[in-house]
Amino acid sequence: MLLKPKAKNARAKRFLVNRDPKIVENGKTALFVRGSTTSQVILDTLKDLYSLRKPDAINFTKKNEIHPFDSETSIEFFARKNDSSLFAVGMHSKKRPHNLVLGRTFNYNILDMIELGVERCTTMQQFKAQTCAIGMKPLMIFNGEAFNQNEDLVRLKSILLDFFRGEAADKVSLKGLEYVITVTAGPAGANGETGLVFFRTYTTTLKKSGTRQPRVELEEMGPSLDLRVRRVRQPTEDMWKQAIKMPRELKVVKTKNISRDGLGDKYGRIHVGKQEINKIQTRKVKALKKHLDDKPSKKQKTSNDMADSD
Amino acid sequence: MDVTGILDEHKNRFKSIQVERLVPVEFDLGLMACFDVNMIDEAQLRASQKARDTYLQELSREGAQLMINELFSLPTTVDEDSVYATLPAIRTVLPREKPAPKEKPMTRWEKFAKIKNIQNKKKSRMVYDEEKAEWRPRFGFKGVNNDDQKPWLIEVPGNADPYDDQYKARREEKKERIDKNARRAQRNFEENLAVEKGMKPRDMRKRELQSALVLSKGSTASMGKFDDKLAGEPKVKGLKRKFDPLVKNSDKEKSNNMEILNRVSKGEAKTTSVVNVRKAQRAINNAKRSKKQEK
Repeated sequence: MLLKPKAKNARAKRFLVNRDPKIVENGKTALFVRGSTTSQVILDTLKDLYSLRKPDAINFTKKNEIHPFDSETSIEFFARKNDSSLFAVGMHSKKRPHNLVLGRTFNYNILDMIELGVERCTTMQQFKAQTCAIGMKPLMIFNGEAFNQNEDLVRLKSILLDFFRGEAADKVSLKGLEYVITVTAGPAGANGETGLVFFRTYTTTLKKSGTRQPRVELEEMGPSLDLRVRRVRQPTEDMWKQAIKMPRELKVVKTKNISRDGLGDKYGRIHVGKQEINKIQTRKVKALKKHLDDKPSKKQKTSNDMADSD
Repeated sequence: MDVTGILDEHKNRFKSIQVERLVPVEFDLGLMACFDVNMIDEAQLRASQKARDTYLQELSREGAQLMINELFSLPTTVDEDSVYATLPAIRTVLPREKPAPKEKPMTRWEKFAKIKNIQNKKKSRMVYDEEKAEWRPRFGFKGVNNDDQKPWLIEVPGNADPYDDQYKARREEKKERIDKNARRAQRNFEENLAVEKGMKPRDMRKRELQSALVLSKGSTASMGKFDDKLAGEPKVKGLKRKFDPLVKNSDKEKSNNMEILNRVSKGEAKTTSVVNVRKAQRAINNAKRSKKQEK
């Protein structure tokens, strides 16, 4: 458990405040780690995914004794130190060749992770296409109904969406839609086992089409990965519930009692509570005093005058 | 005049942007993602790698086309000669990376301002300095309020002693202001801590003082036993040590001893590690091995 560091100057304080929990969060940083044994395939995969994820990515080039499914402590330590909530661990063993583990953390604890076997990898360098600029947000396409039905693939979809999301943005430049990531679920195996998942990346070129929407042409950019789903660690119920809890400030406030009619005029409704007409405090008129009713004979000079003046 | 020919020619010049899909594709434009549940041609995917890649590219192109169609129909804003499309809110539920921040308790000033309905007037960072005819920060480095850091002359105010050091007075005033601020921040912190624990701040301070008193009493050479007690001081409660009588019931003595034996030998070795059996065994084995080697 790392001690909470104390800031000794304003710069350090700003740095720590940036890492504190916020209402609107920073973009997630991804951490790329190598296991104790790696293969060329998995190294290429990690390198390409890292370049896709720049600048919000950290690449560890040294090998680490790390087994995410067996022990969580090393991942959690890295996440805490580097303030990264996404991680990708690549390793290679005889039992699990070209193994890639993608996962997320919540509050520096592992939320969920998925283990994928990279059966084929074509790197960005092998494609002669022009790569896109760093830091662009991709368009994501998920093909296949298995992504809604198969539990493992639902988890994979969620993790990949988070992984390639980039910075949260409420508007996007229509010139900056430079690349597309497609994830397709392959046919399921004979025993109903999850089929291969095809991960493809393309650069887009927008061409004139005579209408407002342009015609899209794609060129494969890479990486191109054929993935086999291995183990999946689903998040625990309460951790997931806590993670998707939205802070009160972000909840959309409904405007009530305001409406617009056809002409564009704005109408508001005011709700006045029940009024006790008997107990309303009005101007004091002596004639209306209750006890004066008992003595009708007494002449009410002032009240008559007042009546005349009305 | 027959214009259909010209229209057809115009249409054929550009490639179509229409994409046919049996099941309508679901979009999450906030994330720029689309989810297509249509049937995929599995035969193509099982075929050779090249055929598979071509099929996937075609599929992707169509998906991208659909998404571009949607994105280009969003409301746009023009800004510095690039057109921005305003993305709607995200529909898929994605987890946060850290929990939502806890609400900070209000400080004394904030509570007061809320009652009196005092609004926070935003002040600009830079202020125009007439004397020097330039913009300077309101506070901080080269700030407008730091001008009198080392003035070459300070007038002695009417009520002050003429022999007092005015420069020192200024320094001390500033220091006092800073200390006052720090004290107030500390007071806010303590009050909020007390409220968090459900106590009144005054009671919390009282408790702290009392515990400090008790500790200080015991810090004498004889642990406070022979110190005179002040009038009205509460009696300090210490831990009561219970000792068994020397001559016990023989059954009780036996059972106590057996309990100790069990703890030492096996029973709680795993949990309380009175004796680390593994280490002990390893030590014995090493000793035996070294003895054998000697022989």
